[in-house]
Amino acid sequence: MHKRWIEISVGLMLVAGVAALLSLALQVSGGHLTRSADRYPIDALFENAAGLAPKAQVTLAGVTVGEVVAVVIDPQTLMAKVQMQINGEVNYLSIDSSASILTAGLLGEKYVGLTVGAEDEVLEAGDMIEDTQSALVLEELIGQFLLNLGDSN
Amino acid sequence: MAVNGIIEIHNLSFFRGNRAIFKDIDVSIAAGKITAIMGPSGTGKTTLLQLIGGQLQPHCGAVQLFGQNIAQLNRKQLNQLRGRMGVLFQSGALFTDLTVFENVAFPLREHTQLNDQQLHDRVLLKLEAVGLRGARDLRPSHLSGGMARRVALARAVALEPEIILYDEPFAGQDPIAMAVLQRLIKGLNDEMQLTSVLVSHDIAEACAIADRVILLGEGRVLAHDTPEALQTSTDPAVRQFMHGEADGVIPFHFPAPPLAAELLCSNASAADKQGGLL
Amino acid sequence: MINLVVALGEQLLQRLALMGQALLMLVQSLRVLPGKHGLSRLTQQLYVVGVQSLIIMLVSALFIGMVLGLQGYTLLSAYGSEQAVGQMVALTLVRELSPVVAALLFAGRAGSALTAEIGLMKATEQLASLEMFGVDPLHRIVAPRFLAGLICLPILVAIFSLVGIYGGHIVAVDWLGVYSGSYWGNMQQAVDFGEDVINGMIKALVFAFVVSWIALYQGYSCVPTSQGISTATTRTVVYSSLAILGFDFILTALMFGGA
Repeated sequence: MHKRWIEISVGLMLVAGVAALLSLALQVSGGHLTRSADRYPIDALFENAAGLAPKAQVTLAGVTVGEVVAVVIDPQTLMAKVQMQINGEVNYLSIDSSASILTAGLLGEKYVGLTVGAEDEVLEAGDMIEDTQSALVLEELIGQFLLNLGDSN
Repeated sequence: MAVNGIIEIHNLSFFRGNRAIFKDIDVSIAAGKITAIMGPSGTGKTTLLQLIGGQLQPHCGAVQLFGQNIAQLNRKQLNQLRGRMGVLFQSGALFTDLTVFENVAFPLREHTQLNDQQLHDRVLLKLEAVGLRGARDLRPSHLSGGMARRVALARAVALEPEIILYDEPFAGQDPIAMAVLQRLIKGLNDEMQLTSVLVSHDIAEACAIADRVILLGEGRVLAHDTPEALQTSTDPAVRQFMHGEADGVIPFHFPAPPLAAELLCSNASAADKQGGLL
Repeated sequence: MINLVVALGEQLLQRLALMGQALLMLVQSLRVLPGKHGLSRLTQQLYVVGVQSLIIMLVSALFIGMVLGLQGYTLLSAYGSEQAVGQMVALTLVRELSPVVAALLFAGRAGSALTAEIGLMKATEQLASLEMFGVDPLHRIVAPRFLAGLICLPILVAIFSLVGIYGGHIVAVDWLGVYSGSYWGNMQQAVDFGEDVINGMIKALVFAFVVSWIALYQGYSCVPTSQGISTATTRTVVYSSLAILGFDFILTALMFGGA
């Protein structure tokens, strides 16, 4: 009898542990049960990708449509190549879409914002976005401001 | 019965740190008899039992059981040998989370393939032999010291061994319990034709049932003879123990400088003046 | 002066010898696969070590989560970022507090119980008794307890994290008015399963190994008197705690330091 209770409670504890781990996976870390099967890769070249890190969001009109997978140097152009994974259902990005590196929130996290262009043809897996806007760097902004100030004087 | 003893000890030496517990001793224990190992406290009686049981390894010399040198056996062979030997520890050493029945059944479950009914009957018979069949569902914490020892005895003989080792079976028992144990030890030995080795310093009880007595002292065997021979021995060390003399070969006083020097000395030390830490 | 060096050297050698003994004990216990009733013994130990630690874990997790929620809200509202309290609570718990606090509680509750139990078995000659019956006490007594510790602590840590996060939710959302959506949403952005949750579980596994090992060795090698058992139990808690904190630093540096 006592033995039965021991076995039941141990079983319950093990189940609770597995459930907790699953909860942590799904609810806490926002995991997806279906993964990158329905995502396609898109690249973009930026002059300056300052602060953009892997796992950053890729948004369209403020809605998350994918994530940044890697930020590497493109050896031919010596620019920053940002490799992204876009959700499969977002298949209306025209080939003249533009990508900008923007800042979110007070803590300054960088993310990629996309804007759809006018062309009919859409981007496919492995395509490159050419129209890009680099991250705003504080020093350049100040330099620009001082230059403008100098000009107006 | 073999000509050689069932337990043979040759040139045994055993050290604890720098102290020699045994120096080059020879002991031969005959089969079928009750042998008592006695001696003053701290002479290594329990250590000798542990050496016989294989729990300790001698530093020199050999312990032979059934003609085999136990130091040369591997684990499996040693366990097999242990199956032919039962041990009764000083406190009984019953497994606290098992009932009396389960305790006695333990060696049977481990070493035999008896079915439930056979096991049940065997356990009850052993408990009956020690007079505790009615206590079979109690837990060790509900037993008195004497009862616990008897259950431990039932457990020790469950596999019907050929040798039993008893570590201070009479220590701290009331006269009735002692009489019960005496009866059990002698009875079991005669009925099952065991070889019993018991370690004790209860002279009267041990001598009443022992066929042979081995007296240990100062790291060696002082005497190995019948109880009667030891009682009438003229050896001063033997006399002091057997007759319970307070002073003799083993002195009353712990070694110290002469009293006169300590009392009348005018240069009492500072520590004495302060009266110590208390 | 030379005496000091010799003394230190002897101490060092003694410590090394103890560690060697402890390692031998562990290896000897786990060398052979469990026999007939191995699973039943393991289940029994899982109950004693795990299930009986659940209450203290649940209550502690709840309170710690609630405190984190409270403190987090207070600190973050200075920067106007109180909506980020969810990710703060979750990251703190999953990466650091759950493994460390749960392990410390485990060492105090289950670890000391293991040490005392085995120490008492040694003192009452039950271990010697087992040996004389041809049963290896390391295999029969020590191994199931070690495995139970190894299995239970990671489970308890996962439960601890979850309960703590809900505790934070109770304070932040129900009491202090953070939006439930922000609480969970920010958390999901910030917490990465592979990097945070899994690393936390790895820590839990390492701590489980260390605490169980220390507890069992202290019990097995204690002086078989009541004083000895008491010393061994104290040592288990102290050494386990130090080991947990030490390993936590090393693991944190390895896992989270470089990035």
